[in-house]
Amino acid sequence: MKRISRRDFLRGSAAAALSAAMAVSVSPVVTEAASGDTLNFGCYVYSTSFDPAAYQNAAWQGVRWGITECLFKFNDDMSVEPLLCDTYEVSDDKMTWTFHIRDGVLFSNGDACDAQAVADSLNRLFYVCANSDDYSSTPAGYIDMASIEADTDANTVTIVTNTAVADLTVTLCFPFYSIIDVYGDTTDADHAGGYATSVIATGPYALSSFDATTKSGSMVANENYWNGEVPYSTVNVTFIEDDSTKALSLMSGLIDLTENVTTSSDLATLEASDAYYVSKSSSLRSGFAYINFDGVLANDALRQAVRMAIDSETMCNITVGGMYTAGVGILPSSLIYEDENLDNPYAYDMDAAVALLDEAGIVDSDGDGIRELDGEPINLTYITYNNRCLSDFAQAIQVSLTSIGIGVSVNSTDSDTEWMLMQAGEYDLCDSNWTTVGTGDPTAFLLNWYGGTDGSNAYSSDNPDGTNYCNYDSDEFDALYEQFTASTDTDERNALVVEMEQVLVNDVAVLLHGYYNSTMISNASKVTGAEIATFDYYWLNTDIKPVG
Amino acid sequence: MQKKMDFIKKHKSFTVFAILAIALALVAIFADKIAPYDPYEAILTDALQAPSSTHWFGTDKLGRDLFSRVIFGSRISLSSALILVACIFVVGSVLGILAGYFGGWIDAVIMRIADMMISFPGMVLAIAIAGILGASITNAVIAITAVSWTKYARLARSLVLKIKNCDYIAAARVTGSTTSHILSVYLFPNVMPTLLVTAFTDIGSMMLELAGLSFLGFGAQAPQAEWGLMLSEGRSYMMAAPWMMLYPGLAILVTVVVFNLLGDSLRDVLDPRD
Repeated sequence: MKRISRRDFLRGSAAAALSAAMAVSVSPVVTEAASGDTLNFGCYVYSTSFDPAAYQNAAWQGVRWGITECLFKFNDDMSVEPLLCDTYEVSDDKMTWTFHIRDGVLFSNGDACDAQAVADSLNRLFYVCANSDDYSSTPAGYIDMASIEADTDANTVTIVTNTAVADLTVTLCFPFYSIIDVYGDTTDADHAGGYATSVIATGPYALSSFDATTKSGSMVANENYWNGEVPYSTVNVTFIEDDSTKALSLMSGLIDLTENVTTSSDLATLEASDAYYVSKSSSLRSGFAYINFDGVLANDALRQAVRMAIDSETMCNITVGGMYTAGVGILPSSLIYEDENLDNPYAYDMDAAVALLDEAGIVDSDGDGIRELDGEPINLTYITYNNRCLSDFAQAIQVSLTSIGIGVSVNSTDSDTEWMLMQAGEYDLCDSNWTTVGTGDPTAFLLNWYGGTDGSNAYSSDNPDGTNYCNYDSDEFDALYEQFTASTDTDERNALVVEMEQVLVNDVAVLLHGYYNSTMISNASKVTGAEIATFDYYWLNTDIKPVG
Repeated sequence: MQKKMDFIKKHKSFTVFAILAIALALVAIFADKIAPYDPYEAILTDALQAPSSTHWFGTDKLGRDLFSRVIFGSRISLSSALILVACIFVVGSVLGILAGYFGGWIDAVIMRIADMMISFPGMVLAIAIAGILGASITNAVIAITAVSWTKYARLARSLVLKIKNCDYIAAARVTGSTTSHILSVYLFPNVMPTLLVTAFTDIGSMMLELAGLSFLGFGAQAPQAEWGLMLSEGRSYMMAAPWMMLYPGLAILVTVVVFNLLGDSLRDVLDPRD
């Protein structure tokens, strides 16, 4: 018997390991290649539940996958389109809203989605969220609900609110308020989980299986879909966490469609090829850094210089490869607010930033390259996390500020840790990427800078309900915000939003990176109609079809 | 001089790798003279430029010159690896010699701690320690030291056990030599060659472990020019800007190979059978 030398053994082992590694690396993400009426969709999966009452990501996921629908739907221009409701009436006091449910709509199990089913779904949502710790969605946060009642004869649902609402239809677009069949989930021996993973709804696709471990599942066409033909009989949805993996899976043919490849180089590769169709759209998201006013950045000159030292245009276009669009106001410029009227007195001007610091006496007196404020070297604590290019912005801002003598320590962590650090106030700059008008207007988003009476909205361990995490305090902003929330006149509200944005710009209350551009990328030879919506809780729909 | 020439002729490979290792050290020492640009100077508009006569290794995502960063990276990567090896060498050797010589409860305590440390997967434990301490190159060195000293302790202990009952040690005892004298004059020099060879051979692997921690985000932090971190930063650009991974990767490869082969050739030099 031939004796195997150590070297031969190592060589053989290495070859075997390499072969195994290659086999693993090319193992298909999905086992079935795209064919005809099967769509293989690779995406990030944020939730293991589809129950709109469970939590926000679960509510979004049902809508994203094309399973659940709301009474209304946002168009890209923020206008509202009727969906399960076809007409509605509102009382003069804007507190009683009567919605007619579209006749003939069925759930995917064949049950009628009529006024009673809609009222039961919404009542169940409000009830469980108010009475059970197992449900963390906050429908009452956006609608101050008094009652929801169905008129089965007229097929209408009447929603009465405790306060006047400017336009309830926009709020009802939000995925919290998606309608599910509360009597007909598919829980059985093979499908555990109740509404969580066996939800029944009215969308074009019905969930047929979901594995919480792999966060992947499959759907079948809803045979009872009310709004036209469903193009795919089967949709396989595969959880892909890494952006490069999404791109490589698409290029290798393992998937036909993916969303939000946020690595600029991978996206550039896909955009450069005719084999793929990249739909890119300005989303509702703004990327920005909170500025902690309870720290060194409370100094006006320093804050203004920081703003002027940052070349957002270059960062958006080059550093993150066009994943963001630069702007002035905190709300995306694609929205209806007339932000062309906004003026930025602290636009990018490195020389002016240096001059401002020098004039304010913020100079480097000990020659170590870092300026001092009140005798202490400036070293900003910048917390960020690796999501939607935020850490790239942090690094670019770090090198920009360092070049004018402002030290920056970047702490790149995970989102949960960042959130805790932010709540503890242990930051000077804190990255975020927020949906700004998820419910149709920026009421919730702008609360981040609203101080409230005697600072009642400032977050602290003693005031955990506060939503102002940055200690920004402006009487002018607070007055505008209160006027905004009290108004039911749409034009006045829109104008007030712009005014509030201008106050934030003037005070350098927040460091805007840019407006995030969402993407949907499809294999051009297999899929057509895959466009990304401005509201990024819309992914799969019946416009996405097989080619030919 | 003739002796030196004879040594070089006899140990050619050791000489070559020693020169290469010294050259790498010189690159680190004179990085500011060699690098054409400030490794931390970012020109955002020059991001992701391919290698050219202006930027030999191209530029990274912030428009920093990669050649300069790779050159300066040798300072952090090399010095931290050498410090790390020195730490585990000193800590492990001292504890191992003490355990081996004194035996009894000292031996039991030290070796049980060592057993505890090696009962965990080394890298996983290092990640856990670095995670608790916070991400920095210093903490990465501490984390890997905490899990790597055991190798030297066990080696030193076994070497001491082998020689502590030799006649010359007994002779030293009966002639009235103190314990510290026996340890420093008789034991330490005898276990040193083996430990030294191990240390030199470990430089490469320790450098890889440090780079691994930095790659995972537990070591060097941006904007430091450190090879593992640079690899991590380049990973997202692997397809569009492969030079961002290629050159830091090559730097690690070359340095690890040089120090591994230096360790091997040093073993040949110190081999008592030769």
